[in-house]
Amino acid sequence: MTDIILATENLVKSYAGSDRPAINGLSLQVDRGQIFGLLGPNGAGKTTTISILCTLLQPSSGSATILGHDVVRQATEVRRNIGLVPQDIALYGSLTARENLRYFARIYKISAKLIEERINECLQLAELQDCADRRVSTYSGGMKRRANLAAGILHQPEILFLDEPTVGIDAQSRNLILERLVELNHQGVTLIYTTHYMEEAQQICDQVAIVDGGQMIACGHPTQLVNDSPGCGNLEGLFLQLTGKQLRDRVE
Amino acid sequence: MTMLLLANIKKELLLLSRDRLSLLVLFVMPMVLVLILSLIQDDLFRATGGAPTTALFVNLDTGESGLELRNSLQANGALQLVEELGGEFANEVSARKAVFDGDYQFAIIVPATFTTAITQAAKASVQAALRQQESSPSSSQIAIVFDPAVRGVYRSAVINALRLGVTRLELARKSAVFEQLLPEELQRSMAAQLGSVVPMSMLPQVPQLSFEWVGEPIITLDEELAAPEKYATLPTSVQQNVPAWTLFGMFFIVIPLAGTLIRERQEGTLTRLMTMPVSSSSLLLGKISAHLLICMIQFGLMLMVGKCILPLFGTPVLELGSSPLVLLLVAFSAALAACGYGILIGVVARSYDQAAIFGSVSIVVAAALGGVMVPIYVMPRFMQSLSIISPLGWGLDAFLDIFVRHGNLVTVFPRIAALVGFFLLCMLVAMVIFQRWRRGN
Repeated sequence: MTDIILATENLVKSYAGSDRPAINGLSLQVDRGQIFGLLGPNGAGKTTTISILCTLLQPSSGSATILGHDVVRQATEVRRNIGLVPQDIALYGSLTARENLRYFARIYKISAKLIEERINECLQLAELQDCADRRVSTYSGGMKRRANLAAGILHQPEILFLDEPTVGIDAQSRNLILERLVELNHQGVTLIYTTHYMEEAQQICDQVAIVDGGQMIACGHPTQLVNDSPGCGNLEGLFLQLTGKQLRDRVE
Repeated sequence: MTMLLLANIKKELLLLSRDRLSLLVLFVMPMVLVLILSLIQDDLFRATGGAPTTALFVNLDTGESGLELRNSLQANGALQLVEELGGEFANEVSARKAVFDGDYQFAIIVPATFTTAITQAAKASVQAALRQQESSPSSSQIAIVFDPAVRGVYRSAVINALRLGVTRLELARKSAVFEQLLPEELQRSMAAQLGSVVPMSMLPQVPQLSFEWVGEPIITLDEELAAPEKYATLPTSVQQNVPAWTLFGMFFIVIPLAGTLIRERQEGTLTRLMTMPVSSSSLLLGKISAHLLICMIQFGLMLMVGKCILPLFGTPVLELGSSPLVLLLVAFSAALAACGYGILIGVVARSYDQAAIFGSVSIVVAAALGGVMVPIYVMPRFMQSLSIISPLGWGLDAFLDIFVRHGNLVTVFPRIAALVGFFLLCMLVAMVIFQRWRRGN
């Protein structure tokens, strides 16, 4: 019997001034312990979905639950159990990595006795222990991304949301992050993962959902999805087949 | 809750301590401004506050009239006369040069023939009057040398003070001549009219008259202010500038405070914080507490400048009045108002540049309206009425009430309430905008 950790039902989100909803009737189910890839072109609704699931935005209609808690009505319960690695480097550049982690640890109310131990574990996981006392603003792009990951797992969340965690970094850092994500998953953390790198998704995800125009257009195990689509050699081919080759430039 | 608050305060202070530009704006700028402006405006405040204006006095007169004029001017109290330059009595050339060089704004030069000239002119004038003749006595000229940069109001003040002194002197001279000539003229007139019928020895002797009473005032001026509770005592430059620039500096907390909010929004840390099990209000409370602390440190440092540093440059020592606790309460309310405004700007502005430009311009405008740059009591009436819309004006008025007019909690309460109300209004608007943004609108 599977244990559903995250579920959305007919989720809709419309932004004021926009002529079409960013998410339009999205229904998802994620099992505990999965690495779930949420894939889609620019403007497909990936970040909006993650924002709703992380309690940052309220849906226009529909519902979403995490560990049985409604993301709108029981936001505080949801927040205790989730971690977020946002697309931006959500750290204070003028603080050191250690100071950043110490601050977030206190916000998570990690016991004072455990704070330093937990910070060191996270720094070690991100391989930043040697430069933990340098200001984050002096870090390379890869180091910042790793520090971003460390901040997201500090409080040992049951479910970790990652919004393009490897975008724009060197191959070594990217490889390290992917390795660490798999390690975390093996420790029991459920990962909800968005990326534009299809080979990454194919490499680590147990299940992927391809969304476009705010609606889900495919969902399943990456290999299974590829196999079920004749003429697609890999996930990227399937993705382009489903979402088309036209550019999706977005003007903010 | 306490741990959360302390964590937020510590983080905010760490961020601020690493922002050198903000530290300069918050601590160095107001201190430099208060030092410079208190020193620059010290003379101006002394002048507008009723203190005497300093003028060089060159007395070339060989008689006693020059001295009498000097004594009269000094007794009047409107002018403080300086007669020496570099340890020697000033002469016409050195006095003109001192004014030309900007060392003095005025020089009064009494000519060498002053006594002789006014004595002769008074005699001619009185004699002509007694004989009912036309008179055009030659007048004596006193030179007043002005610095061209001196404003009209001060010129008028000096000329009026001098005119008063000269009038007294003229009156004294004419009275003295009148005292001497009147009996002679009466005697001469009686002799002319009665001499043919009454022997000269039979004519009555005209009594000797004294005119000392001429200088005695019979009308006094009673100065009364239309709004005595408002400007009964005017502040010194230190009492005006220290609270004024302290408020200015405190309100500049708006820029780093709004800046941290905008950076958190732009860099994604706010997003991260909002996915944590912590309420927006406790995050805001930490932010406000840290910045309130900074404002109160600013306040303490500025008072120290007024108490200890400015007097070293010759200004009056800052007098704090008799209600130190109320003073702290006013400072705290002003700091709250500044923090509320900072939060509002941080929520409304879309970029740091926008916040920095709008924040600083609006503070400068509010400071100008509130009497920080030019005291409200010297503003035109229309601008005085506008000053009530400035939170800096409320704070400054409350500080001056305590410093100058011995205000207490009751007298400053309306301004404290206005400052706290401004804070609450800013927070309310900021929360509404923030919640709208959070709902994705």
